[in-house]
Amino acid sequence: MKEPIYITGAGIVSAIGLNKAEVLDSLRQHRTGIGSLQYLQSEHTELPVGEVKLSNEKMKSILKISESIPPTRTSLMGIMAIKEALNEAGIVPSSTQCIGFVSGTTVGGMDMTEQHYLDFFEKNDFDHFITSHDCGACTQTIADYFGHFSYVTSISTACSSAANAIILGAELIESEELDIVIVGGSESLTKYHLNGFNTLMILDHEQCRPFDATRSGLNLGEGAAYLILEKASSAKRRKAKAIGTLSGYGNACDAFHQTASSQNGEGAFRAMNKALQSAGLQTNDIQYINAHGTGTTNNDMSESIAIKRLFGDILPPISSTKSYTGHTTSASGSIEAVICLLAMIYQFLPTNLNWKYPMPEGIVPNMNDYSNNELKHVLCNSFGFGGNDSSLLLSKPINR
Amino acid sequence: MKQQRVYIQAATHISIQSPLNEDWMQTPIQYQRSFIRSIEPNFRDFISPIEARRIGRLQKRALTTSLAVIHQSKIEHPDAIITGTGLGCIENTELFLKDMCSQGEHLLKPTPFIQSTHNTISSLIAIYTQTHSYNVTYSHRNISFECALYDAILQFRLQKINSALVGSHDELTPSWYQLLKKVGYSGNPSAEASVSFMLTPERNNSWCELGGIKVLHQPSIEILKLSLGKLLADNGLNLSDIDAVITGINGNQATDLPTIQVCKQLFGQTSFLHYKHLFGDSYSASGLGLYSAACCLKYQFIPSTLYYMETENQIDNPRNIMFFGQSDYKDYSLILLKSSCGK
Repeated sequence: MKEPIYITGAGIVSAIGLNKAEVLDSLRQHRTGIGSLQYLQSEHTELPVGEVKLSNEKMKSILKISESIPPTRTSLMGIMAIKEALNEAGIVPSSTQCIGFVSGTTVGGMDMTEQHYLDFFEKNDFDHFITSHDCGACTQTIADYFGHFSYVTSISTACSSAANAIILGAELIESEELDIVIVGGSESLTKYHLNGFNTLMILDHEQCRPFDATRSGLNLGEGAAYLILEKASSAKRRKAKAIGTLSGYGNACDAFHQTASSQNGEGAFRAMNKALQSAGLQTNDIQYINAHGTGTTNNDMSESIAIKRLFGDILPPISSTKSYTGHTTSASGSIEAVICLLAMIYQFLPTNLNWKYPMPEGIVPNMNDYSNNELKHVLCNSFGFGGNDSSLLLSKPINR
Repeated sequence: MKQQRVYIQAATHISIQSPLNEDWMQTPIQYQRSFIRSIEPNFRDFISPIEARRIGRLQKRALTTSLAVIHQSKIEHPDAIITGTGLGCIENTELFLKDMCSQGEHLLKPTPFIQSTHNTISSLIAIYTQTHSYNVTYSHRNISFECALYDAILQFRLQKINSALVGSHDELTPSWYQLLKKVGYSGNPSAEASVSFMLTPERNNSWCELGGIKVLHQPSIEILKLSLGKLLADNGLNLSDIDAVITGINGNQATDLPTIQVCKQLFGQTSFLHYKHLFGDSYSASGLGLYSAACCLKYQFIPSTLYYMETENQIDNPRNIMFFGQSDYKDYSLILLKSSCGK
């Protein structure tokens, strides 16, 4: 039997809290983090967003980063979340350990690029942001803050980036390349993708309503979350406690359209099915699904069909937590994985905020705070543009 | 863990050398400019005119090199499609950015945005070939390609896949070149690159074997030596079995000298090869480096233009070539290619 992959730490920064305790409280109090624009300087003040309630300056001061090196918001949020995760895992990166770092992002340093793009060609004051533009640069800035990582890479598969980072981390451990890998994603709001999604007319001007008949789009969010994936034997050797296990995962491509999901949810179906198979579990072993559930007409229909194809008539409780955090795009896979871990640790069900009316042929999302069944295994879905669909199977650790 | 053997079944490129062929080995095109865009083939030989009109330049190149290796290898639906790209679709990104920064946020068009996401490339290949398998994109500066290749090799070893289409694709616009030059990030020459490889465990008809890969972040020289030793040992080789080392030196003395210094420390007296003087530099250049080495093993011949110094020991019938890459002196990569000719 293959050795389990433990999750020995987790950290999160999102619109509903700057750490796990705050996020847990918001989820249990049904408190959304979606509201009017405060930090992003956009003309689209009419669009609700899930912003992390801190300015870059405040984050820098919390992290004791000097003003002379201005990191991008993606890097700042990433550092905050990783600090919490490492702290929980009891790991201080040092040159004597081999720790990998896999980060998902798509906008990278775009938050600064878009503020200075025209200046780049005329002035020299903002050249730093030319070098911090790309995804790899943002990951590198985070890596430099901590130092001592032995493998560092960035994955960019749009809204499934963080989920795919988690999958790569698992593969690095399974193939015995590394014992410990920090995995997840970070993505700041930018005018660039706020406008991009707006031109696609998939942003709701009200609070988003995933799986509701009246849903009319998503609310963008931002944030970062990271997990410490660790080979079970390494965790035992360090006497580190597992807060969860990564039992399975699946990555598949919908191969249908760059921005739309197929009607039969083929990619989603395959990703979830692969996750179950790799964990050696059946559909009736799953007690909760954290859906991708963006609130767009297309996603929620396609995902409902995929879930029904796989699970048949007996569905576990399903909810989208994007009505709390907004759609945190490249970070959503790890943000929602942390939410799943919290649900299993504290044995509660995240509700699907703002849901009222069932959609024809759609799933009926969970509105209860508690389950009749112990949450032992949960699925966490992340689907990206281009049909980059991934699903994670997270489990409650068995008492040791 | 048992080593699953992995072979390069097919490879091709669209670059500043003659596209989709190995003409560069005999008649390389020489340039005197510092920024050169790729030579494009007739895309319509591969892509329907309707599709070609719909997609961006980088997507066309990536789809073409992918379809070429799909045809060569006769693997229609690879078990994995893995792409590396340092900047992603920068042309469309800049289109959307320029409009947004100069005209404001109310008159923007969706098409450049849709085609600006990094994973557009990998998903386009999947959509065009109707391939539902594992699909992922790496975007990590100069080692984006190595990260993609590393993922593929891990999956072969875990016996999750029997074929992988691994590509590396980057384009460069005149305006972004201007910015890279300003911050000292440009190679000499700066160029564009699209490279695709089909990998399988089949030795028959293969170009060469991929013996293994190491990608390391801020390794000490000791760690680099250990990793090199392990890579060689895994393949039953000694350092003296390495016929040549191909490096990504790019004509910039300030960065080339430390690279050569590390190479000498690692490999001692061996023949050093370079490729960026022919193919130019880009975030995807390492894909072309590996492709060049694979060509040498396939054709059992190292073109004289690849030798870094005229004094390098000339190799007949090369058996083993090591690729050595570095990015910002932070990330280092070692890729071992072994001849699959003969016994």
